Amino acid sequence: MALDPIALALVQNRLDHISRQMGWVMTRTARSPIFNQSHDFSCFLTDAGGTLISQADGIPIHTGGGGFAVRALLAAWGSDIHPEDAFLLNDPYVAGGNHLPDWVIARPVFVDGTLAAFACNRAHQSDIGGGAAGTYNAEATEIYHEGIRLPPLKLIERGRLREDLWQLLKLNSRTPEALDGDVRAMMGSTRIGAERLKALLEDYGLANGLELVEGVLAHADRSFRAALAGLPQGIWRAEEKTDNDCFDLRDVWIRVALDLRADGLTVDFTGTDPQIRGFKNSSIANTWSAVYMALASFFEPSLPRNEGTFRCVRIVAPEGTIVNARPPAPMTMCTVFIAHEIVHAIWKALGLADPSRACAGWGKSIHNGSAGRVGTDRPFVAYHWHCMPGGGAVDGRDGFNQIGHLIALGGLTIPNVEGYEQAYPLRILRHELRCDGGGPGKFRGGTGVEYEVDVLEPAEYSFRGEGVGYATGFGAQGGLEGQVGHMRLVLSDGTSIEPPKYRVCRYELPLREYASSPGGGGWGSPLDRDPMAVLRDVRDGTVSRHAASNIYGVVISADGRSLDDAATQRQRALLRQPGS
Amino acid sequence: MAYEVKVKLRAPWRVGVDVGGTFTDLVAQDADGRMVVAKVPSVPTDPSQGVLDAVTAAAGQAGLSVQSFLQGCDGFVHGSTIATNTLLEGKGARVGLLTTEGFRDSVEIRRGLRENQWDHRTPFPPVLVPRYLRLPVRGRIAADGTEVAPVELDDVASAVDVFRAEGVEAVAICLINSFANPAHERAVAQAVRAANDAWPLSVSSDVMPIVGEYERGSTTVVNAYVAPRVIPYLRALDATLRDLGLPGGLLLVQSNGGIASVAQLEGRPVNLALSGPAGGVGALKLFGRATGSTDLLSMEIGGTSCDVMLMSDGEVATTDSLMVAGYHLSTPATDIHTVGAGGGTIAGVDRGGMLFVGPGGAGARPGPACYGFGNPEPTVTDALLVLGRLRPGPYAGGAVSLNLNLARAALKSAIGDKLGLSEEQSAVGIIRLLERNLLNAVERISIERGIDPRRFTLLAAGGAGPMHGASVGRALGCRRVYVPRAAGAFCALGMLHTDVRQDWVRVFAGEMETTSAETLAQSFDEMEAGARRMLHAEGFPPARQRLMRALDLRYPGQQSSLRVEIERTFDAAAVRSRFEAQHQRLFGHIQPGGRIVIVGLRVAGIGQVEARDPQTPAPRAGTPASLGTRRTYIDEASGWMDTQVYKGVDLGPGHRVAGPAIIEEMTTTVFVGAGDTLTVDAAGNFDIALAP
Repeated sequence: MALDPIALALVQNRLDHISRQMGWVMTRTARSPIFNQSHDFSCFLTDAGGTLISQADGIPIHTGGGGFAVRALLAAWGSDIHPEDAFLLNDPYVAGGNHLPDWVIARPVFVDGTLAAFACNRAHQSDIGGGAAGTYNAEATEIYHEGIRLPPLKLIERGRLREDLWQLLKLNSRTPEALDGDVRAMMGSTRIGAERLKALLEDYGLANGLELVEGVLAHADRSFRAALAGLPQGIWRAEEKTDNDCFDLRDVWIRVALDLRADGLTVDFTGTDPQIRGFKNSSIANTWSAVYMALASFFEPSLPRNEGTFRCVRIVAPEGTIVNARPPAPMTMCTVFIAHEIVHAIWKALGLADPSRACAGWGKSIHNGSAGRVGTDRPFVAYHWHCMPGGGAVDGRDGFNQIGHLIALGGLTIPNVEGYEQAYPLRILRHELRCDGGGPGKFRGGTGVEYEVDVLEPAEYSFRGEGVGYATGFGAQGGLEGQVGHMRLVLSDGTSIEPPKYRVCRYELPLREYASSPGGGGWGSPLDRDPMAVLRDVRDGTVSRHAASNIYGVVISADGRSLDDAATQRQRALLRQPGS
Repeated sequence: MAYEVKVKLRAPWRVGVDVGGTFTDLVAQDADGRMVVAKVPSVPTDPSQGVLDAVTAAAGQAGLSVQSFLQGCDGFVHGSTIATNTLLEGKGARVGLLTTEGFRDSVEIRRGLRENQWDHRTPFPPVLVPRYLRLPVRGRIAADGTEVAPVELDDVASAVDVFRAEGVEAVAICLINSFANPAHERAVAQAVRAANDAWPLSVSSDVMPIVGEYERGSTTVVNAYVAPRVIPYLRALDATLRDLGLPGGLLLVQSNGGIASVAQLEGRPVNLALSGPAGGVGALKLFGRATGSTDLLSMEIGGTSCDVMLMSDGEVATTDSLMVAGYHLSTPATDIHTVGAGGGTIAGVDRGGMLFVGPGGAGARPGPACYGFGNPEPTVTDALLVLGRLRPGPYAGGAVSLNLNLARAALKSAIGDKLGLSEEQSAVGIIRLLERNLLNAVERISIERGIDPRRFTLLAAGGAGPMHGASVGRALGCRRVYVPRAAGAFCALGMLHTDVRQDWVRVFAGEMETTSAETLAQSFDEMEAGARRMLHAEGFPPARQRLMRALDLRYPGQQSSLRVEIERTFDAAAVRSRFEAQHQRLFGHIQPGGRIVIVGLRVAGIGQVEARDPQTPAPRAGTPASLGTRRTYIDEASGWMDTQVYKGVDLGPGHRVAGPAIIEEMTTTVFVGAGDTLTVDAAGNFDIALAP
């Protein structure tokens, strides 16, 4: 019998509302600023088999991969799952985790004594032990260097918190207070989620409720198939690299083939390079999320956030490659880099299939951290977020001139200069858009910024210059790539230093750091850019007169305030000639 | 529109006028608490015409000339959308911005934050000041307020030349760390004024002296952008009303829920961003008194959206930042959660075959399909018509006529045919999904504030709110829904019960336990002196002045602070326990004995307007007369029933009506569910006890 379409719409609405409600509770009750400022968590619901049924809330790179965690705990605990239990896990190899810092709390939902669903929260912890404070150990070569590994654990057994386990967890963190507060907030948000989900299923009766949930997944499947139906069938291939393995400069490639047929889409990573020494290797859960994010962001924002969307998608991720590493490869950085590269590779391939929706590349970050002490008792760790890169253009809009990591799609807040100067021994001297940083195009890439800062105390510097040395924001549809990033340090004694790409260095003097962050890629030919937009860029100082004339073919009159239309037409005709 | 009711007023009376997208509402209340309610079409091209039309209509109802009506008025409070519309339509002034060299771009970078991350294709709204009009000034103040490099006024001179050449109409100034030391900003302002004193100046350390160059700068730029449009408009309206006889001049509702004169607003028109909806603050206070409840949730639904507000323990929830048309404003504001759910909200079926309702709407024109102005898509109003909740024919006082056949046709083609549902079933689906969205909106504001909505009374207002109040209240677990008789003029009514209010903010840095009471007292005294001057200028004698002191407190390292009211004598232990109680409620934990830092001082200067409750109508005995019954869809359990329909004027204090029932009031239609009981309370409003 066909499902009641009204009940179906109500159930979908309630499922998404429940996962959002869990997020509001988390934002309100968690302790670390990472949750209420950067929203580095996600809340999701699965059915009894671990299929994701809603993830309306959360950071984009978490979306779509939650089911792995629940399926791992089901495999581990089987029938030994009871009302009022709650599970904790993080390990990307055995527990369906994405990377170690993201811990998952999963609560089973029982209706009429039957396991019916799970309510889950995945959240980035402030510290989980390992070789470096704050979860990112850039020198890790094994997952053991990255923190405590948790298989699916029963943290709460029939309503009782396992105190021995709790002490073990806190003992393994440098910030046990924050961990205590944050994991309790996760427990609170999953409790609300589980209660609401139980009420929903009881309202409709378990059998009917589950049928409606299945209907919600089927709707997502139809919606995504409808989106794919707009694309021509065929095989679309693309590749994207990173130029280092976190230790040495060497190109590491993601290769993807999108095989689009009437019955679905295969995302095949065969040919991707082997896993690397450093911590950018991806877990299978993270690779799924990166694929989901790339697909969902390419199509319309209204696509349902559940696993039904993926029913017609098959992912081939060969084991031992950087998109599906074997243990004990380290992988903490993978949610940012290599996820960025995975999204780029898929965007490039999708752009071949549907040029009108093609997305140009976003610049990769170059910012470093500075850690030291003010006086004898005030330690500080400051990340130089102010030199975040520019984003890529799409048809209809220029790239965002400065924006956080691609994997958050604008969900990470760049701090205020004034707030930073209050908190850290820094004096920031410049935080302004770059000139000619953005990849030229009909729609221009984001410019990136010029950043200058005095670090007023001796400090340890951890460098991760992903966007230094080669252009990272690729152009699309005839748009050009964005400018590469640069960084230079000048010690207070006048010594100038070109910092290493990936390393931890200590400088015993105060210094000035100069950074030019990478620009995003442009979309479409710069010769098709509206001359008025080029004039505005020149007046704004984000495009030089030279680039306006030589790349955009736009000639500005002598007063700098208007176009020379005739000269522009001549210049554009000249530049359009083959070989020019 | 003209209502036939004539009301004889006894001077003086107070007037509230709220300009909405579709209608301009006016409520007048006289010395005895008698009320006149007028509703006229808004005039988007000249909103002040709508105001004058409303005045004319109200005067007519009171049997007075416009002049006599205005002469008898001892308070004329206006909620104006002029600032918001200037932003929404991008029709503000050409602004020049002066910033510290090296920091021209924070208003364009916007901290890299996207409101909807999945929609990365939609551009940011255009930056309000192009980069070539954002010009640098050398000089630097350090984070602690000391001068690192002196300000270079030569840079101001060259910037002024550019501004002149470019036809700049207003100037904004926002220098780094000016919250810690405004000396450079003041020097720059003086230099600009010396060069051209016709430019309205917006100086960040005056507009909103907070830490954060983006939020402070954005607020300052918006202020400069709207000032040359808003201030002349308000001055002109003020002059017109005075010429017509108004003795006191115009008062405006600000985002903080308080009112201010045009003169007070000249430097801060940005404070008008929520001018209309913030009129709800006064309404919450009024109906708090009427219901004897300090805990109210209000759901005001109009044609396009639903505004949810919360009053807990008698205090209306506030926020320090809001987004208007995609622009960030850091000003003290009433916390209003708005969702796209109203009478004109459009329903349909998406391409995956799922029914949806909103968030898009059909607006006032063409409006719902049943208006017959050419919109083919079904809306909430069309669904209500098909379900018998609304009556076909003249609607909204005769402004439009509802055509049942058009509603049915829209439902059939957009939903019924696609999902295999009848028109009636499609309509039920729309209403149930809409009410689910309303419930979600109310739950959000409750959860974010850490309160349990079940102990709250739901106030259902706006033209469309009382239709859904009972159903949403029941789903929330509330026991009681309260519907003001003038629900359709909720904000205008609230404006009659609004105090004058202005807020002062200062950045402060100190540990709470080691800061001396004297240091705090000195700063507070200075701020209060400013507040007293303002209240005196506005004509409030000391007895009607109320000054509130508060501290912004946080644990070190936190990103946001909590506001704790303090007494005039500072008692750190008492403040700590208040902070901890609030922290526990909002965030679920405290740090016992943890350090607490003071990051800001706040003073609110309030000029208390004399409370005048509406007149209590005479009690009515017996059973109210019914207009008869109409076949109406009630709910899932009861299905369709013959439902008693009443005319609002036939119901008076003491009357009780057992649900299901429909009350057709002048500005709204009230739906009472099966098993619910509606009582008309002493104030003449509808108090609905919900069946569980």
